[in-house]
Amino acid sequence: MSFSFMGKHNGSHPEENKSRTSKLPIVDASVPKIMIFPVSMHIGAPAKPIVEVGDQVKVGQILAEEGGFVSAHVYSSVSGEVIAIEKRGVIGGEADSIIVKNDYKYLKADPIVEPGRSQDMSKDEIISTVRKAGIVGMGGATFPTAVKLSPPPGMTIDTLIINGAECEPYSTSDHRVMVEHADEIISGINLSRTLFPMLRRIYIGIEDNKPDAIKALEDASADFDDIFVRPLKTMYPQGSEKNLIKNLAGREVSPGGLPAEVRCVVANTSTIRSCYRACEFGEPLIERIVSVSGTPIKEPKNLRVKIGTPMDSLIEDCGGFAEVPGKVLGGGPMMGKPVSDLGVPIIKGTTAITVLNPEEAEIGDEQDCIMCSECINVCPVSLQPILISEAFERGNIDKAKELGAMDCIECGNCSFICPSKIPLLDNIRSAKAAIKQKEEK
Amino acid sequence: MAQAIDVKGKLRVGPSPHVRSKRTSAWVMDQVMIALVPPTIAATFFFGWWVLVMVAIGITTAVASEYLYQKLTYKPIKIHDHSAAVTGMLIALSLPVTAPIWMIVFGAVFAIVIVKQFNGGIGRNYFNPAVAARVVIKVLFTPWLANWVLPGGLFGSGYRGVEAIASATPLEFIGNGAQVVPEQVPGIFDLFMGFNIGGNIGETSKFAILIGMLYLIFRRVINPKIPILYIFTTFLVMTLWSSFDFNFELTHILTGTLFFGATYMATDYSSGALTPEGKTVFAIGCGLLTAFFRITLDHPGGVGYSILIMNALAPYIDSKLMPRIYGHKARPQTKFDRQSENV
Repeated sequence: MSFSFMGKHNGSHPEENKSRTSKLPIVDASVPKIMIFPVSMHIGAPAKPIVEVGDQVKVGQILAEEGGFVSAHVYSSVSGEVIAIEKRGVIGGEADSIIVKNDYKYLKADPIVEPGRSQDMSKDEIISTVRKAGIVGMGGATFPTAVKLSPPPGMTIDTLIINGAECEPYSTSDHRVMVEHADEIISGINLSRTLFPMLRRIYIGIEDNKPDAIKALEDASADFDDIFVRPLKTMYPQGSEKNLIKNLAGREVSPGGLPAEVRCVVANTSTIRSCYRACEFGEPLIERIVSVSGTPIKEPKNLRVKIGTPMDSLIEDCGGFAEVPGKVLGGGPMMGKPVSDLGVPIIKGTTAITVLNPEEAEIGDEQDCIMCSECINVCPVSLQPILISEAFERGNIDKAKELGAMDCIECGNCSFICPSKIPLLDNIRSAKAAIKQKEEK
Repeated sequence: MAQAIDVKGKLRVGPSPHVRSKRTSAWVMDQVMIALVPPTIAATFFFGWWVLVMVAIGITTAVASEYLYQKLTYKPIKIHDHSAAVTGMLIALSLPVTAPIWMIVFGAVFAIVIVKQFNGGIGRNYFNPAVAARVVIKVLFTPWLANWVLPGGLFGSGYRGVEAIASATPLEFIGNGAQVVPEQVPGIFDLFMGFNIGGNIGETSKFAILIGMLYLIFRRVINPKIPILYIFTTFLVMTLWSSFDFNFELTHILTGTLFFGATYMATDYSSGALTPEGKTVFAIGCGLLTAFFRITLDHPGGVGYSILIMNALAPYIDSKLMPRIYGHKARPQTKFDRQSENV
């Protein structure tokens, strides 16, 4: 338990629950017969399918092309036959999906670029390769990385922040990537030197509950005096982009602004690693690391997963359930999305599968606010969640806006900490929707 | 892919976050009651078993009046949040052992019905119910309260005790413009432990209150800066007022309701400030006012008045000190108007 003398700490301390997987090396997940590739695994326009039912596809072949500037290609991670293109359940809803029947031959498509020359690539080449590889933010945000790496004209980048905080309870995928692939992360960072010629400092922020990851990256970056591995206090949501920029670079992004306006770019460890692998080996984004954990899981694991693998196959790999699960989440318990069907596929932004038992998933009955001010103390962007929530409940949308509802990053700390179990974040989300609706009129 | 457990239709969905902290409102109130146990034990030790009767009457009346009020007004019954019990306990402990039963009952009913429920119930009351009740009792019933008695031990005196010795509280010697400690006042150690001093039963042993305070701080129930800044501010003003008479300042912070009020009353959630900086101003304000009343008044009660005044100012303080939101240049400029009723 950490203790902050003056009460305001801008974060909370949910139980970490990482110990069951944090020491386990990454192992390959089994690959099932049927793979599902949603055309919308990213923020932005859905990709457009370019294959038809009956087509034979190879590993690393494009199934759907980007549907706009803010979009990303979708690749097949197996070889086989396209057997359907239809709506399927995905984490957080439904999406058009390309269904591929695995032939287990793993015939490979040509690499997206000639391998072995990432060092000689120009800025434009790197960005186009990252775009071609279909890379998106792999920490969960799934924003197309090529767009992020091309800041608007006039904005120079002097600080690169690598997000290795992994503050979500249970999740250990980034942790294992940092321990096992520190060199590839550093190589990815070195590519960014070509992208941002004015780059002066590179911070790697890692929560201090991962000393082995800190050590691995310190060792891997020993030759570079502009790379700083910074241990961060273990506290949720230490890995939020805005807070990393504040804590590591000492800058604050203006409301609704981009990190680039304060000369920063933030990238997740797995994302920067994928950028390196795309440029160096010509690999599109068809694999990622997923930690599968939670009380009902028999043998939690860190798995190397082919994107498109349905969740139930991974749960099977982990020995199945020891008890009836209450909630199954794509992601961690603070920001993850619940699924009602285990047939949904792993996508580019799925960091973890977290399974809660019915007791852990219990929210508790809502009671009157006792004005303990804990929601104010834990808000990472210094909002007053209870006041926004009450303003919304009274129908006072303008007031909710004045109190900064639109600045909410939806980390969930307020709802988590509330002793009266008030659904603060739900109310703030509703307030945001109402504000947007009002402004569109 | 045969799964041993069929999950179809069993999985819950719902918006994030999917876990909640274990802390509940009732747990928080229970912690305050636990923290009131050391002063209760000390009071029983000094003033006799009658203390336990007083506490029992306070809790019973407070809970019963909340229950009856909610029943009679067709509101949901909310006594299970344990907040009424805390109020009842505070009222009993802030009266002298000579206080008649009807006075405890009056205080508890006044606190719960008028101060708390009439103002919208838990979390909505702008004044601390226990503080308001004790101030009203002080104003209305001073003749029944003036007979401060010296402690008579575990089996001695008490309400029924005929040999209760009337005495003055130390405050009457060091307040009202005094700048030095007269000889009648007990020594610092006695004041700290509560030996041989009269007063409200829960307030005489600062040692017991300190244990309660530390418990609440380490349970993260109260914000430590409130009691610390409150007591320290009074200490500082008294230091200046007495021209650095160390004995005088120490005697001041160890007498009267200061410790008890700073620990259990100024830290009240509903009636205190909500914002982090507002809490700082609130605590310092309480300290300044207490010092002011101690210097100017010729009777005890400064802590109660101070907390009530700061309670009244808290919404204004909060509206001026709303935290600056990340990325914004200025604090939010909006009126601090809390909902006045629980829905």
